[in-house]
Amino acid sequence: MTFWLELAATGLITGGIYAVVAIGLNLQYGLMRIMNISHGEFLMLGAYFTWLAHSVLKVNPLVFVPVVALVLFVAGLAVYRLCFRRISRTAPSVDVIEARSLLVSFGLMFLVQNAAYLIWGADLRGYSFLDEPVDIAGARFTANRLVVFGFALGASLVLLAILRYTLIGKAVRAMMQSPTGAQLVGIDTAVLHPAVFGAGLALAGVAGALLSMVYEISPAMGEPYTVTALIVITLGGLGSTAGALLGGLLLGLVEAFGMHFTSPSLKMLLSYGVFIAVLLARPKGLFAR
Amino acid sequence: MKLASILTRIAAAAVAAAAIAPAFAQDPVRIGYAIARTGPWAAGAQVTQEPNYIMWAEQVNARGGLNVKGVKRKIELIGLDDRSDMETVVRSYEKLMGSDKVDLILPPWSTGANFAMMPLAQKYGYPMLAPTATGRKLLGMKNPYFFALLQQPDRMMDALAEYLAARSAKTAAVVYVDELFGLEQFKDLEESLKKKNIQIVEKKSYPLGVKDLQPVLNDIKAKNPDAFIALSYPPDTFLITGQSKAIGFNPKLFYAAVGTAFPVYRDKFGPTAEGVMGLGTWNPRTSPAAKAYFDAHVARWKKEPDRWASAHAWAGLQILEQAVAKVGLDRKALRDYIANNEFDTIIGKMRFRNGENISTPGVVSQWQGGEFEVVWPPERSTSPALYPKQPWK
Amino acid sequence: MMLHRQLRLLALGGAVLATAPWLLSDFALSLTLTCVMYAGLAVTWAMFSGATGYLSLATAAFFGIGAYVTAWGFGTMPYGVVVPLGGIAAAAFALLVGAACLHLRGAYFAVITFGLGELVRHAITYFEKSYAHTVGRVLSDTPESWVVYLTVLVISVAAIGAAAVVRSSRFGLALAGIGADEERAQTLGVNTRRTKILGFALSAFFAGALGAAMAVRWTYIEPNSVFNPFIGFQTVLIAMVGGAHTLIGPLLSSVVFSVLTEFLRLQFPYAFLIVLGLLLIALVLYLPGGLASAWPLARARLAALRSRTVSLEREGAGG
Repeated sequence: MTFWLELAATGLITGGIYAVVAIGLNLQYGLMRIMNISHGEFLMLGAYFTWLAHSVLKVNPLVFVPVVALVLFVAGLAVYRLCFRRISRTAPSVDVIEARSLLVSFGLMFLVQNAAYLIWGADLRGYSFLDEPVDIAGARFTANRLVVFGFALGASLVLLAILRYTLIGKAVRAMMQSPTGAQLVGIDTAVLHPAVFGAGLALAGVAGALLSMVYEISPAMGEPYTVTALIVITLGGLGSTAGALLGGLLLGLVEAFGMHFTSPSLKMLLSYGVFIAVLLARPKGLFAR
Repeated sequence: MKLASILTRIAAAAVAAAAIAPAFAQDPVRIGYAIARTGPWAAGAQVTQEPNYIMWAEQVNARGGLNVKGVKRKIELIGLDDRSDMETVVRSYEKLMGSDKVDLILPPWSTGANFAMMPLAQKYGYPMLAPTATGRKLLGMKNPYFFALLQQPDRMMDALAEYLAARSAKTAAVVYVDELFGLEQFKDLEESLKKKNIQIVEKKSYPLGVKDLQPVLNDIKAKNPDAFIALSYPPDTFLITGQSKAIGFNPKLFYAAVGTAFPVYRDKFGPTAEGVMGLGTWNPRTSPAAKAYFDAHVARWKKEPDRWASAHAWAGLQILEQAVAKVGLDRKALRDYIANNEFDTIIGKMRFRNGENISTPGVVSQWQGGEFEVVWPPERSTSPALYPKQPWK
Repeated sequence: MMLHRQLRLLALGGAVLATAPWLLSDFALSLTLTCVMYAGLAVTWAMFSGATGYLSLATAAFFGIGAYVTAWGFGTMPYGVVVPLGGIAAAAFALLVGAACLHLRGAYFAVITFGLGELVRHAITYFEKSYAHTVGRVLSDTPESWVVYLTVLVISVAAIGAAAVVRSSRFGLALAGIGADEERAQTLGVNTRRTKILGFALSAFFAGALGAAMAVRWTYIEPNSVFNPFIGFQTVLIAMVGGAHTLIGPLLSSVVFSVLTEFLRLQFPYAFLIVLGLLLIALVLYLPGGLASAWPLARARLAALRSRTVSLEREGAGG
């Protein structure tokens, strides 16, 4: 029993991280159709900022998480203003926005990653934080994984609540459902778009900050997370925040149980297999509206 | 008017040529290489390899230049970014050797990249002393211009098995990464352990980039082996260490292959690293020359070199320097000289047979009080081994 | 008429490029090879994805499958056989994938094609490890670089030719019709499903053949290096920067992009990706129609300028 509990919990922990990485990307795509391939790069920045704060300023990484979120939110406003505003304004259709934003974010990816190499070098970096084992009902985990899971889940739920219950959240959802309709009732895209883009980057930064507590970081760390995020949001349904959360958790569970029942080598095969099977059965994802 | 301008040009050209002529004798020695500065290979390449190339060129130039058969000539390094991409590796070396015709080359990072450019090195006749390429498959290419500086997997695994036998360990569990490196090491480890009658109670492989191995480690913990051996790459080495500690899996011997020798391993884990074993060759206590290299590296880069391949990279540069001093820049002669002579390096004497470094034995190293001590074989050891490993701290 | 002119130009260009091994230095040849390879990949990508709007990220998978056919077959079969076989294997894979996935649209299709590529990569890794007890394969006695170059040139010229023929055929019109409005195309009597699957497989054939042809350059074939997502992304990037709905755009852009990247890499050995990233962003923001639109745009501006000067002169003459 304990064994199964531990297995499920390791899956959920990995899944929670996947979810928080994916939700930010999903917000940007869902609202503005911005396919931000450089999402993982901003996650990497969040990880580096946290590592710097911990190793140079000796700041507790958990305390630093809100700072990272703020910094990346502001960075998001700037990136939106410089790169994506023009695209949303000049593109004739949403498909074109998708294509052009994809290209621009490729450029951003090159730019940010290379800048990180120049500033911090290519070496692996890492620090120990809360790596003490914790016993829960006989199952053992490192404390940092539990904390990361808690934060990831917390951030996702807070975001879900904001979208559901606040005015700005309702505006965002209205926008996702019907851009023109929302504009007719007086929702201001000039404010909403940059803010949501910033929120997306802030979530990426938070994910990076959390990941740096558990894994080693390097400038190339972002790309695999971008890929995972894309898979998770397609699995859950593009534009659906709850879908991204559940999709992430599901992927984590598939990996953990797959690893136990087959072998770690088959794990990737299995998770891609599940992903493809789901999309074939439900072409708009598990939780499509 | 027109004629005059042509004449002035000719005169100017003649003056320029005259100015160049005396400098010709001291033309720099151009040494080219491509290496990963961006992309997934960069983490390894920028720890073990390129810093050594640059520091070596700087040191040689500070000494007045590279001794080419008695004439000192400055080194001009031409370093390109290979973007961690095979085709770019090939294209870069085609440029360096085929078009720029540099005097010497230094190898790229990783076994795969060395595979890709080896045939070119042979075609153009450039000897290459590879610091980060390992595997019998590489040597199986029988490329006369290729020299592998690292110990081959069978040597390393034999040493580990001998050490285990000396401590009368009976059982071992192995995990390995699904890469040429992991598979070759695993095959050799199986044979080495068999020879010493050590039973493998569990073996599992996992893909590169794995983010969680706790379920696997739990399974292994249940089998309670004497030794746990992970034939792993850097990110997984860290993952396995952290998660073994978390589940309280503390076998008598805990070994993780690549990455344990990196200073960041100790910096991240602190006292937790105590007693962990891995692939290594040397540390500052190995020899005074090794100490000097270590100090120079720390002074130049503000970081310590890793305790395995960095010193091999440096040894390769030392060999190149000695060979050039003896036979000059005739690359065929250089190859023959490297193939047939013994060289002094910071990790001891080194000689090649069919491209393999046959002088450096397989080594087992262990973190003890913040240093990666060599603990096996006895004649190379810098400290006695801690066995069994203490509980995780 | 138009098609004949295009094909004549293509044949001429191919013939000129075929002399490269005897005229260019090793490095220049190698760079030309890269341009030619991406031209083939980008043009055939655009032939399907540009026309239909189905954004495929499977190029890396097709390329890798082709390369693996070389890894398995080279040595027992001659190079000239392995290369088309690589194309056929990739096309067969595309037929399967197309039949299963081409009802997905937009980003769903993009992500699933990427996922399928990863699936194949992991499947091959697992297969090789379990049954061949290795992950990589070594190729020996590989062909000379000029042989590889000419082979890649032949495939790319054939690919561009095929794209040109498709564009002016009923089949090409059907593909474009799907891109414009799939339901309407269907009501107008186009078998959209068959058209999509065939178009997808045709573009896969060339990507697979190019992968099979290029693989011999790397001596050592392993899943991680030949199923390099980078190759797929770069192809999409080149085609879209060039203008994916045109023929000349991807062609032009593969040359510009490859040469520019290489130039920057040699000029700025530490920061070239920063420069490349900035250029890319600027290009998309200020030349959103792609490189192919630069010429008509410039011509239009020029024409506008000229007519204005003419009218000014007239006014001057009148006054």
